Amino acid sequence: MTKQKRDNLVSAGIAAASVVFLLWVIPTFTPPYPGYGVSAALLPNLIVGLILLLSLVSLGVNLFGPQKNTGQEELPDEDKVHLGRLFSFLLPCLLLFPAIKLAGFIPSGIVFMLLIQFFCGQRKPVTMVLVAVCSVGFMYALMRFGLKIPMP
Amino acid sequence: MLELMLAGFIDAIHPLNLLFVFAGVTGGVVMGATPGINGPMAIALCIPLTYYMSPIAAIGFLVGLNKGAFYGGSIAAVLINTPGTPEAAATSWDGYPLSLQGKGEKALRMALFGSVSGDFFATMVLILVAAPLAAVALYMGPPEIFALVCLAMTIIAGLGTQSLVRGLIAAGFGILVGTVGIEPVSALPRFTFGVYQLERGIELIPIGIGMLAFSEIIIQLERRYRDSKKEGGADACLLAFSTKREDRFISWQEFRSTIRTILRSSVAGTVVGAMPGLGAPVASFFAYDQAKKRSKTPEEFGKDKLEGIAASESANSAVCASSLIPLFTLGIPGNVAAALLIGAFVVHGMIPGPLMFEKNAQFIYSIYCSLLLANVFLLVVGRAGLKGFCKILQTPAVILYPIIIFTCIMGSYLGAYNPFDVLLMLFFSFIAYFMKKFDFSHISFIIGFILTPIWETSLQQVVISSQHDPYMFLTRPVAMGLLAITAFIVFKTARGSMRKESKA
Repeated sequence: MTKQKRDNLVSAGIAAASVVFLLWVIPTFTPPYPGYGVSAALLPNLIVGLILLLSLVSLGVNLFGPQKNTGQEELPDEDKVHLGRLFSFLLPCLLLFPAIKLAGFIPSGIVFMLLIQFFCGQRKPVTMVLVAVCSVGFMYALMRFGLKIPMP
Repeated sequence: MLELMLAGFIDAIHPLNLLFVFAGVTGGVVMGATPGINGPMAIALCIPLTYYMSPIAAIGFLVGLNKGAFYGGSIAAVLINTPGTPEAAATSWDGYPLSLQGKGEKALRMALFGSVSGDFFATMVLILVAAPLAAVALYMGPPEIFALVCLAMTIIAGLGTQSLVRGLIAAGFGILVGTVGIEPVSALPRFTFGVYQLERGIELIPIGIGMLAFSEIIIQLERRYRDSKKEGGADACLLAFSTKREDRFISWQEFRSTIRTILRSSVAGTVVGAMPGLGAPVASFFAYDQAKKRSKTPEEFGKDKLEGIAASESANSAVCASSLIPLFTLGIPGNVAAALLIGAFVVHGMIPGPLMFEKNAQFIYSIYCSLLLANVFLLVVGRAGLKGFCKILQTPAVILYPIIIFTCIMGSYLGAYNPFDVLLMLFFSFIAYFMKKFDFSHISFIIGFILTPIWETSLQQVVISSQHDPYMFLTRPVAMGLLAITAFIVFKTARGSMRKESKA
């Protein structure tokens, strides 16, 4: 996919989402006008209207503006979305707190740290275990005894 | 008057007070350097500790903590491109490229000198002209604040992205997120989608950690993974530090070339800080933008320009002291840190405001002295800790990044002791990941989010006081002037980008 094509898709997606917001989300999820002061929907309507306008401007300039020589080349690797890598970090983080509730802070924290280190590219088992145990132990001591924070 | 001043200063230099101010600065630098922990968070965490201190020591400690965190934020920004605080984001634009060249120590020195200079300037302004400046801020009614926020957002939207339109869209998203929670007029939930945890609104901490720290680490890891495939070095250190003297220290010539920028940015930071609500990120980005526009070599900004670091750091550190101006003279907090300080004042039996100058003048002078001392300590701690911070951040990425990820998660939990904030942090890091990939400024998003309450409140006040008359702005020349500048910036940027596109 070229950069220009992706920009067009993103602008069109934002414009479509703005229309959904204006027609459904804002009327449904904002409180009704109480009869005094200002409607709760004023600022969201104003902002989403502006986003819609700006995304249409962006789309219009890209589609109907002067033809550009830039943006026609394939996307460089650093601009590409790597969903696999993204979720390999997000999923363990999402599961950390439910795991803490089930198994406790220290075991869950250690497993989490081992996983994250593995995804970060660490392959030395001794270093992995040492870093996991030390960082989780330090955090536990800090939260529990230093800051006296209630743990989940 | 002079007697009170002297007595106040003598109180402040009591050894125990000095120790607490020093401890505050040191703790602040360390916390600020940790991604996800900022000045307000550090203050919030440490307020319970001040219950056992004298009022002067307590306020000195908290002020030192805030100052230290402001500088500390630049350490992670410069060395690992992960701003410890939102206001340090602009510092990373030039600081990190310098670090990649092995000049991280030099960039940190510039950040330190900028911080200390900006802070010193603002503290002197606070001491000398606090009351008149606050009086100016007092004259700003809702229309002026509304127009000022419009101007601030337009200026900031152009930063961190190639296109003003995308910057404004990102700021719009930020504002939309800022409207989640209890709506101020009807007191009913808005955009909570039936999730009760959203009724308290979304805090800045999960957004800040998610968008500034966590997403950045994922992208950096992605980059390292790509590079390691090419070079086979996943175990490489984050940064290498040059041992050449010119790469480590700032020469007099280099410092002299930044003096004007430091002065201008300190003034900008002081003025922005004195206006309630705008805060350090606005000052920092505004000063950076101004420094870039006034520079003879603007194309070097964002690469390795010392001036960029000086502008950002002196402006955001100036806010630290100047945000106390409305607090001391009007009782209005200039930012979150100042709002937290009100809590500390109240704990020690004082209510910030104009009456404090009459009832507790000696105490005010003690605080002034503590502010100056904290500045000196910051210089000492910053210089002494430079090598230590460089050494810590030379830890291999495969060790440091997992620790930072864990700290980010626990840091977002710390804000409200609520696992839901961790979910929010992950959600916003997901959003920021895509924003960065699609060139939408996540900085504009955050600024939009931060400014939403003040913007919405001023908009509501304007609409109510004018009885829904949009032409009321015509009767407010200052607001009209600010809106005209906003329109001019939009027009100028649009024309500039159209010219650039037609050339391409």
